[in-house]
Amino acid sequence: MSPKTIVRMHDIVMSFSGNMVLNHVDFELHEGEVHSLTGANGAGKSTLIKILNGIHHPVSGEIEINGQPVQIKNPKDAEKHGLAFVHQELNVCLDMTVAENMYIGNWAVNSLGLYDKKATSENARKLLAMMEVDLDSDAPVRNLRTAEKQIIEILKTLTTDAKVIVLDEPTSSLNEKEKENFFRIIERVKAKGVSIIFISHFLEDVIQLSDRVTVLKDGVNNGLFTAGNYTKDDLVTAMMGRKIEARAERCVAAPSDALTALELKNLTRKNKFTDISFSIQAGDIVGVCGLLGAGKTEIARAIFGLDAFDSGSIELFGKEVTKPKPDIMIKNKVTLLTEERKLEGFIPLLSIRENTTLSIIKTMCTRLGMIDRGKQEAFADKISKEMTVKMSSIDQQVVSLSGGNQQKVVLAKCLATEPRVFLLDEPTRGVDVYAKSEIYKILAEAASKGTSVLIFSSELEELLENCSRIIILKKGQIYATVNTCETNKNELLSLIG
Amino acid sequence: MKSLKQFLAEDGMRLAIILIFMLGMSVATPYFMQMKNMMNILQNISLQGITAIGMTMVIITGGIDISVGGVMAFSVWVSASLMKGGLNWGLACLVALGIAAVCGAINAFSVGVMRIPPMIASLAMMNMTRGLQTVISRGTTLTGLPDGFLVIGQGMVFDIIPLPAIFIVLLYILAALFMSKTIMGRNIYAVGGNPEAARVAGIKNTRVLFFAYIACAVFATIAGLIFISRTNSAPSTVGTNLEMKAIMAAVIGGTSVTFGGKGKIMGTFLGVIIVGLITNALDLLGVSAYYQQFIQGILVLLVVFLEAIRSNRAARQH
Repeated sequence: MSPKTIVRMHDIVMSFSGNMVLNHVDFELHEGEVHSLTGANGAGKSTLIKILNGIHHPVSGEIEINGQPVQIKNPKDAEKHGLAFVHQELNVCLDMTVAENMYIGNWAVNSLGLYDKKATSENARKLLAMMEVDLDSDAPVRNLRTAEKQIIEILKTLTTDAKVIVLDEPTSSLNEKEKENFFRIIERVKAKGVSIIFISHFLEDVIQLSDRVTVLKDGVNNGLFTAGNYTKDDLVTAMMGRKIEARAERCVAAPSDALTALELKNLTRKNKFTDISFSIQAGDIVGVCGLLGAGKTEIARAIFGLDAFDSGSIELFGKEVTKPKPDIMIKNKVTLLTEERKLEGFIPLLSIRENTTLSIIKTMCTRLGMIDRGKQEAFADKISKEMTVKMSSIDQQVVSLSGGNQQKVVLAKCLATEPRVFLLDEPTRGVDVYAKSEIYKILAEAASKGTSVLIFSSELEELLENCSRIIILKKGQIYATVNTCETNKNELLSLIG
Repeated sequence: MKSLKQFLAEDGMRLAIILIFMLGMSVATPYFMQMKNMMNILQNISLQGITAIGMTMVIITGGIDISVGGVMAFSVWVSASLMKGGLNWGLACLVALGIAAVCGAINAFSVGVMRIPPMIASLAMMNMTRGLQTVISRGTTLTGLPDGFLVIGQGMVFDIIPLPAIFIVLLYILAALFMSKTIMGRNIYAVGGNPEAARVAGIKNTRVLFFAYIACAVFATIAGLIFISRTNSAPSTVGTNLEMKAIMAAVIGGTSVTFGGKGKIMGTFLGVIIVGLITNALDLLGVSAYYQQFIQGILVLLVVFLEAIRSNRAARQH
């Protein structure tokens, strides 16, 4: 007998500000299975789940629950259809007990209609015992560890008679032992007949838990695997790109005999990265890759001075920078394009003119200390054209531009400082294919003029196309360094996974 | 500076309110449209009006300063006492500004370095300064300030324009130019709009916060000095509710308290004028002063609801 489909998302299309984020995506959940949804950052996993949760509304596509077409207009609708969501950011009430959190919205009442603390606590005790979880139902949640809070969130969904539970990156803050416990609980939840959607980028966890795995890449379906019929390499390939037979045609060579622009010696930050040592020459483009959690962003931010590090040193053109800070690094002609442009890249309500000149505004003043508007406009105009920013005017607010154009504005802001070392973290995430090639051209030009470019990215094609050398990070340490001219995508994929 | 068209689009509602109001009032009573009444209005709004300039800067950084009443009362009282004690009034004013600057710096330190929520930090400062001022004033009122000092609040230009009216207009124009044309002014918008992005771009956020909170305290004290000069008296209750009036003017003027980076000095000016007009109208119409607080409250809610509707509609289109 073929398995019954409990949730079916068909032909889902979603776009934000003109950027297509989900391109005719399908997803099916069978009753009683654990089905993982995986993919790189920006692949569309969260968006798909938010549509199921009623937080976003798709441009087109259908959702069926138990064979019936449904409209999920808000999270309450999703709840009514028996869907429960455990988000990555835990939603527990810290100053209430375990029982009160588990039954939130559903506390037991006595005959007078008043809150019955004893009954709520007793109900919780029964459920905890049934799931064999070792927690005191009257313990205040504030004192619990993250792993325990997460278990409470999962048990919360069981108290609402949910038929489908969606877990969003549930294992990202668990240690090995806690993970074992977590898997046990998932097995028990599954035994109760609940179907589970498991979103994660931790491939070992995905492989251990799943009956089936759907992989998304750049907003399209790129693989559907069944337990026992695939390997970890298959998943990595599906997440990062199709296997290509021939070697990459282009390869970028490193400049010969140039100065060492940036050198890291044993840079370490507890729990984030260990003993990071490498150097990059003027005019060279080097890539740093690794899966999520490998430490790319943390290293980039440490070099630029946004986060502290515990030991090791950073040397710029031979001189050590002891306590890097953003304004000091910018003065030293080092600049960073951060990972999240919305959070850290631009000032939303300010114009393109102001955002592009944000770091160099001091050079645009008259003798009286007032901003020379004409000079600022001319500069912003010039650099926006060089970056091919699509805008209606220089005074347009950056928040109203498309993602790719926002990224170009942030790029312009960085290049305005005329950096000698340019760090970029996921520079083309959420950027369309044309903007991507334009950005690569800009980086190549900067390098040809002597700038050292260091690209931190999870997109292998990007690094193969642009870098002379690729450093591979695994769990915060340098695992290998490969010469782009001597490697290909297949080899990289096997090294990363 | 922005084009006329842009100005109308954003502040059109406020201008409309002002014009409709003035039209209505000139029909309702002959006393309204007289030069003397207009100058009266400008004088009456100068205390919270000038305070609102600095308050707008702080709110744009994403913070708030509810200590301005206490800071103003304390620094102004110390200054007045020194003046009466024989100190040169110019120096006494500088002392007042110095005290204000220190208080503002402490606020900035709490918010920018210790990361305490602005509401709590300025609440503490409010209590400290108001408490000190109550101690030194002992419930009395200071009068009989030096003649030289009284010119500031009571002087007239061309026999009809009171100096405070000139001060408030001048300060608003200078502040507006500052916010739109200087690096510090633009940095205030940047830090308020996205503090993390500002930091990444190399802006020293703490320095910007120090500037904003010190400016806020100093503007309030300038307003206070002009006020006691005009009335030649410093009551122990001076500056009561000043922070609320200044915040109201800023909010009515379009400065957003919910997210930083949004607001304009000239918008606050319109807000101040709107509140001033309504107060004046209620006076002329003989409405009891006690109702004024109530009506001002309704006004704030009305304006903020209208803004919320407008921005909710815009957000849904994204």
